[in-house]
Amino acid sequence: MFKTLKSKIIFTSFIMLTLLMSVFIFFAIQSRMFTKQLMVQNYRYSIDALFVNDINDSIMTLEDNLKSLALIGGLHYRTSRSDELTDEVVIRIFRNYPHTLGGGIWFKPYIFGDNKKYNCFYAYRNKDNKVVLDKNFASAEYDYPNQQWYKEIISKVTPKRNIVWTKPYYEKIGSTTKMVTAGTGIYAKGKLVGIATVDWEISSVIKNISKMKPHEMKFSMYKTGKKIKNSFVLLGHADDDYIIATNDPYLDGDSLVGHSLKEIPWYAPDLYGTTYFTYHGKIYTPFFWKLPNGMVLVICLPKTEMFINVDMFYFPFTALILLFIFMIFVRVYFGINRYIINPIDKLIDIAHKISDGKDVNIKIDKPAEFAQLASTFDTMTKDLKIITKEKEHINSELNIAKSIQASSLPDVFPPFPDRDEFDIYAFMEPAKEVGGDFYDFYFIDENRFMFLIADVSGKGVPAALFMMTVKTLINNLSQVGYEPQELIKVINNKVCQSNKQGFFVTMFAGIVDVETGDITYINCGHNAPLIKSGIGEYKYLECDSNIVLGAFEDFDFKIVQSKLEVGDTICLYTDGMTEATNQNNEMYGEERLLEKINKFDNDDIYTMASDMKNDVIKYSEKIERSDDITLVIFKYKNKHNNVRKTIYKAPASQENYKDFYKWLHNICDQWQINDELKNKLDMCGEEIYANIAFYAYPQTEGDIRVAVLKDETQVTLKFADDGIPYNPLEKPDPDITLPPEQRPLGGLGIFMVKEMADDIQYEYTNNSNILTLKFNLQ
Amino acid sequence: MEIEIKNTGIDGLYAKTSGRLDLDSAVEYGVAIKDALTDASEDIKELVLDFSEITFISSFGLKVVLELYKEMQAKQGTLKLKDIPEQLKNSFKMVGFDKFLDLD
Repeated sequence: MFKTLKSKIIFTSFIMLTLLMSVFIFFAIQSRMFTKQLMVQNYRYSIDALFVNDINDSIMTLEDNLKSLALIGGLHYRTSRSDELTDEVVIRIFRNYPHTLGGGIWFKPYIFGDNKKYNCFYAYRNKDNKVVLDKNFASAEYDYPNQQWYKEIISKVTPKRNIVWTKPYYEKIGSTTKMVTAGTGIYAKGKLVGIATVDWEISSVIKNISKMKPHEMKFSMYKTGKKIKNSFVLLGHADDDYIIATNDPYLDGDSLVGHSLKEIPWYAPDLYGTTYFTYHGKIYTPFFWKLPNGMVLVICLPKTEMFINVDMFYFPFTALILLFIFMIFVRVYFGINRYIINPIDKLIDIAHKISDGKDVNIKIDKPAEFAQLASTFDTMTKDLKIITKEKEHINSELNIAKSIQASSLPDVFPPFPDRDEFDIYAFMEPAKEVGGDFYDFYFIDENRFMFLIADVSGKGVPAALFMMTVKTLINNLSQVGYEPQELIKVINNKVCQSNKQGFFVTMFAGIVDVETGDITYINCGHNAPLIKSGIGEYKYLECDSNIVLGAFEDFDFKIVQSKLEVGDTICLYTDGMTEATNQNNEMYGEERLLEKINKFDNDDIYTMASDMKNDVIKYSEKIERSDDITLVIFKYKNKHNNVRKTIYKAPASQENYKDFYKWLHNICDQWQINDELKNKLDMCGEEIYANIAFYAYPQTEGDIRVAVLKDETQVTLKFADDGIPYNPLEKPDPDITLPPEQRPLGGLGIFMVKEMADDIQYEYTNNSNILTLKFNLQ
Repeated sequence: MEIEIKNTGIDGLYAKTSGRLDLDSAVEYGVAIKDALTDASEDIKELVLDFSEITFISSFGLKVVLELYKEMQAKQGTLKLKDIPEQLKNSFKMVGFDKFLDLD
């Protein structure tokens, strides 16, 4: 999948950047959470400082106000002040506390005597914001001791001057606004004589709270100065469990006011900033405070706006980092392309051009490593050109060496046009420029002809030089007049002496007396040659392989004496022939060689040799041959120059008889054999043919091979088959003197053959029946 | 091979062919004439084999001649060879057929 360098680098950097990104995002999330926690803390401190203290102060002021009123009430009772004076003091007190709506001093009924039931001093702020007295409350009509707020306060006050807050209620006289009254007891000598009250109009309380809206809260960490909108505040009475005031924007004014605090589902006075609730589709965080007077203040901040600064920081920050990482990735991608892949591609391109033999100026400017590589490449290319030139020079010298070597081997055929006793043909196909194989042939005296094939160990120039030495040496020594046994010993000794490099040579030589056909074979570690004798097939010549030349001095080589018949053919070859390989590394092999050579049965060894050469060269043409291919074919004719020989070969069957006698007639006509002899050959041919066709292969099918030879004195007819052994000459002759009625029908044919042939021989060799008939020409 | 076979007179048979009487053709030749001898309405007393256009005779041909001779002898008839070419006469002589056949 990632085979190229490019994809590997990109993949690796992608993984690393992704890891980096993950780590960053992890820390960003952690940091955001931490920041939020910090912010919640900060909100609480800010609210505390800016807001709760304010509201606390406001309540404290109110309570102070109340206590002052209670003091005035007590004073009034004890000192029997005039009502006017007390009126005046009450007005002054309220003037000094501008946030209160109103308030007053209420004595218990009949506290100053039976004639006066209602004693109260009440002042309030009128529409013009002026503090005025209201005496209407001291009436039987209002009957303040029976008012709910009065009863509530007076029942709860204690001598410890506690503050009692009433539940919100509607005042029946004067205003119709909902209000809350705070009150405390007036005591004289430990006896409760009345109460002092201060009124909070709910709407104005809300107004006050609204004034203290946390819009001024600024988050100190980020000085963006953004106000938190949509927050709301709730003020409740914890001990008595009701809501005093709220500015909840979704409530109809004060509809929650007066209700129990516990009706609020998210009421949790001990928590702040850690819980959330959803209210009208918005998520809020409530902050709870318990005020010193037992009231509860709840401030709800919308979550999104609380943290808007954090998110406004973190989201763009994260996006920026992602963009940054993406840009790094893009940069890496293009960087790889530009600084690694492109120079590599360029170098590849250059290498292609150089291998195509083009002149290329190799130059890469950057990066530095590739510039250096390119310059090294350039130097290398130039060196390579020089070396190539040198090599071409050497090659041309090697080609010269090749032609010298080739010209040292006899290559004009026929080599002895005036000698008809034999045919010889040879070739050497070198593997490289020069080879270690060679062949040679020459007369060593008037009638003795020597032919040889040899293979020097090793290849190339050293082998070729040694080959030239050995070839010359053999040639020279052969002319001296040694007998073969001695000759080969001398040759071996000389090769040993001139061989300091440890070369050795395999050689096969034949020395044939072309007059008589007597031949001596010498094999020095060479592969056995093929020989075709008479009308047999090619077979390996049996000859002791002795030892290679150049191994041991004074070695006694075993030589083989034999005799060649007319038409006998010897094929010498080196292992380069059989060991030539094709592209599948399969060797040409001896079987193929035998099969190929046995296809040839005509006289022409030139055609045969060139066919075999073409065959093996074609076989191994796809690969560079590693060894020379050398072949020598020698065919013995005899001393007479008009010997002719033709061979017939076909499956032995009666159907083929017609072809056979036509072939025979054709030869007779070609060779101008007279009718009488032609008739004899015809009759004998038919008889022997029929014998072989009918009896030689009782179970199988097989070939019949027939050869006709003619020299100046004789015509020879040879029949061969590979069938069951059978000597037709052993058949008794029929008695031809008997009267016809006693004559047997069989045996006539072979009798006639015996009568007609001048000589007749039967032999069984190499699993073949061979019958030789000779007919004298005169 | 073509063989011309015809009756001559009341009890005569005449056969003529051309070319070789050898491994290929001799048996066919012999069978054809023997069939003609058997098929004849009268006993054949004289069989004449015209050799004027025979170019070659081998032992197979000679064997057929001997068979026919024996057959005619059994029928108490005669076998005559007509116009044997000179070069074939040696073959007949070689196997001693001149002893009972008139070659001329």
